[in-house]
Amino acid sequence: MATQIIMDHNGDTRHNFDAKDAKALSEAERRFKALTGAGFIAASRTASGEPVVKRTFDPTAEETLFFPRLVGG
Amino acid sequence: MVFVALLHDANGQLQRLLAALSHLARAFRDWYQRPSTSQLRGLKLLREWLSQEQLAQYDAHKYFDVIGCHSSKRYRIHHGNGANVIELDDAALPRTGWCFVPTDHLVAGDVMLAQKIALETDERGVLAAANNFTPR
Repeated sequence: MATQIIMDHNGDTRHNFDAKDAKALSEAERRFKALTGAGFIAASRTASGEPVVKRTFDPTAEETLFFPRLVGG
Repeated sequence: MVFVALLHDANGQLQRLLAALSHLARAFRDWYQRPSTSQLRGLKLLREWLSQEQLAQYDAHKYFDVIGCHSSKRYRIHHGNGANVIELDDAALPRTGWCFVPTDHLVAGDVMLAQKIALETDERGVLAAANNFTPR
């Protein structure tokens, strides 16, 4: 089961989906494009735990984290 | 004698009352300062993404260090929602403070995680957007 985690004012919202299900995968890709199009940054982790920014949808990613872009405070 | 006994009894009752009020005040403070569900969720997510070393550091000190992906400089991310990133020099002393935050309002755990990922994956980009300050 793959997961998309979106940071929000509640902490985060999680969307779990079966990456082997074509319809669920398509929905996950649509969500990825919508969020990154809205300015969110997508990141996943390597096997050793290091974060990697994802510019395009990765159907093999087990976990993708989305957070709003960062600006000077 | 009777007056002294009454005074002693009143003093005892007053001490018990003060102890009870003090207990109530502590309970109220703990209740008021309790982390919200959102804050707990943010901290849980942060903990999932920190390296073992960073997690141990955070548990011990409420901050953790990250290495910038471009300069290999060390940054210390303190628990907080803003003005909480300090660039360290080679002696691990504060050199420059950096302030950068997500565009949306997020809980502290989420803010710290976003800052960590940004410095570890796009150090130059995030510092170009950040404001700096002199750390105390």
